[in-house]
Amino acid sequence: MDEKIILLVEDNPKDEALTLRALKKGNILNEVIVAHDGAEALDYLFGRGEDGNLRALPQLILLDLKMPKVDGLEVLAKMRSNERTRLLPVVILTTSAEDRDRLDGYRLGANSYVRKPVDFVQFTEAVTQLGLYWLVLNIPPPNTGR
Amino acid sequence: MSLPILVVDDSFTVRMGLAEMLEAAGLSVTACATGAEARAALADGQFSLAILDVLLPDADGIELLKEIRGTASAAETAVMLLSTEAEVRDRVRGLRTGADEYIGKPYDPNHVVARALELAGRLAPSAPTTETVLLIDDSATFREALKATLEEAGYHVAAAASGEEGLGLAAFVRPAAVVVDGVLPGIDGPTVIRRIRFDAALRRVPCLLLTASEEEDAELRALEAGADAFVRKDHDTAVILAKFKAMLRSAGAQAGGEIAQSLLGPKKILAVEGSESHLERTAAAVRACGYDVALARSGEEALELLAVQPVDCILLDARMPGIGGLETCRRLKDIPVMRETPVIMLGDAGDADSLLEALGAGADDFISKASEVEVLQARVAAQLRRKLFEEESRLHRAQQLQRELEAAETRAAKEIAEVRAALVEELEMKNKELDSFAYSVAHDLRAPLRSIDGFSQALLEDYTEKLDDQGRQYLGYVRESAQQMAELIDNLLSLSRITRSEVQRESIDLGALARKIGSRLEQRDPDRKVALVVADGLTAQADGHLMTIVFENLLGNAWKFTRDRAEARVEVGAATSEGQTAFFVRDNGAGFDMAYSSKLFGVFQRLHSAKEFEGTGIGLATVQRVIRRHGGRIWAEGEVDRGAAFFFTLPNGAGGPGALAHG
Repeated sequence: MDEKIILLVEDNPKDEALTLRALKKGNILNEVIVAHDGAEALDYLFGRGEDGNLRALPQLILLDLKMPKVDGLEVLAKMRSNERTRLLPVVILTTSAEDRDRLDGYRLGANSYVRKPVDFVQFTEAVTQLGLYWLVLNIPPPNTGR
Repeated sequence: MSLPILVVDDSFTVRMGLAEMLEAAGLSVTACATGAEARAALADGQFSLAILDVLLPDADGIELLKEIRGTASAAETAVMLLSTEAEVRDRVRGLRTGADEYIGKPYDPNHVVARALELAGRLAPSAPTTETVLLIDDSATFREALKATLEEAGYHVAAAASGEEGLGLAAFVRPAAVVVDGVLPGIDGPTVIRRIRFDAALRRVPCLLLTASEEEDAELRALEAGADAFVRKDHDTAVILAKFKAMLRSAGAQAGGEIAQSLLGPKKILAVEGSESHLERTAAAVRACGYDVALARSGEEALELLAVQPVDCILLDARMPGIGGLETCRRLKDIPVMRETPVIMLGDAGDADSLLEALGAGADDFISKASEVEVLQARVAAQLRRKLFEEESRLHRAQQLQRELEAAETRAAKEIAEVRAALVEELEMKNKELDSFAYSVAHDLRAPLRSIDGFSQALLEDYTEKLDDQGRQYLGYVRESAQQMAELIDNLLSLSRITRSEVQRESIDLGALARKIGSRLEQRDPDRKVALVVADGLTAQADGHLMTIVFENLLGNAWKFTRDRAEARVEVGAATSEGQTAFFVRDNGAGFDMAYSSKLFGVFQRLHSAKEFEGTGIGLATVQRVIRRHGGRIWAEGEVDRGAAFFFTLPNGAGGPGALAHG
């Protein structure tokens, strides 16, 4: 296994920019692949690259919930029902703190649920901690994919 | 199972005469000649009815009555007094002491037996013991033939030749079924059935109507009258019997032991005359028709008597000492329950004025005192019939009204249910709308705020050397505002969640809750020294999650507004307000001006500037919502710089306006 990739699934370009900035500020310099909606995320996870091979699986997925076309919960459901992506760590990173979203997220097998704070300083702090935990501290399950 | 009847009379003739007739009617009788014997009998067993002579050699019937009424085991026993004393005083005394009936001697034995059956039946409701069939037909040949057939089939038959006779008999024998000819000399068959249907005691009795062959609409008429079956008279008696049996079978299922006063039962007439000889003559004439007669010698006596004993018809002398007949009549007709009782005024012959006066006073009829006895009897019968008709039509109207009322109630209930369902649906829809609105607010309003804050921060970091101090200050303001707005949005969301959420009551220790939140506040602000005093035993039936919100807000406020106090003190306790327990949170902080107390609980209402004390102005509105959802009240007391106290009630149970209304 080579580099630890982060898959950021985020439709809002400003939030995308802020998240990328926060990761950089937190000194998390891993490669970040951005999917701009659920469909793109699924395409990345299950589609084949230009070389005809399946793409490298990310080490961590930061998943927004409210997105056009295919929303975050749908992406999560698809991932959890596929052997290859079943155990991938998924952190829901969203604006919503509604009970039902939290419930649905955990029910579908999210590993964490983080609400994006409005305060950018807090936001940076949150993203940094997430990266540190999931990419450094956390030991992922043995690689079963590929 | 029917209890025996006790007959107490010192006259052998009376005693044995009554006993024989009652026994013939299927009742068992214990006859006693003296008070002592009666007391012994009463001590020994229970009776459905006691018929007591008022004057006994060794006792007073009324004393005996008092003893019966005073004995628990005999409390259910009906009592009929018999007396030769025609004094109204005695009658009133007897009825007031608790007699159910008071009959003057001489009496019509049939009448006494009929009343005795009614009174005894009232306490021992039992189905007719023998299957008595009442047969009404004016043709003697046919009547005898059918009677023989029915008796052969095991029925006991009571026969009558006319509708009137049949109805009189019906009240007496309480038949299990009635067979009546459609065409009769007086009132016809359908009318007889209709009367039976109107009589509370008889209306369930199955009726078979006999019709002549040529009547084409016979079936319709029979059913209209309420007959259970009809059969053509020209059929063989065997066919009639078969039809009759079929009717009994189908009626058997719905037969109920309903006991009620029969409209066709024995009648009581009150005669009121000043002159003793006239009174005797009138009483004799009425008694001869089989009515029971009560006597009064003045208007005052009559009114006194009527207060304790209702009668079916009143014969009233126009000229009497005292208040006189006209005034008596006026007063009678003023009593609502007496208005329907027919009054026949007895006056001087050929005096047109007395006729007009009598009718003016409200009398129903007027006859000359000089009239023949038969005229008097006919007029009484006519008035009784009229009263019966009125009662019938009143009953009919009442039933009609009842049906209309029931229909209206059903309609109203249906409409209410429909409106309710529509309201519930609308409420659910509105809640759903509100839900999705709140959801959008949570998402879509916060996202741009994050951009505003984030990019302001990026500007400050990446372009700091291109900005002067003022530029950096402005960007600081932009960030501050964005964060403030985010807090506002969060508070509004929490407020709307409270409105939508279900109140789930459980037993809660509010004191423990207050201490928990207090220690959380202490941790958050370790530099603050606040003395939190919590009373013991603060329990309530309330929603735990919602009460946490209440105390977070109230204690949070108390913490905030005591910030400038050297010795901050916050007290949580309970007091009594208007008979209800009111919980309170009191502080010695900045307080508020009572003049503005009404604005405290409004959304976005703030009594302090943001510079003095920060806040969104939603906290107390949220607290008020929670309390209202619990059906309680909230109010505040305070004084500028002398602290504030917030009181609230939490009525027990699921009731209260908050239980239904979402808001």
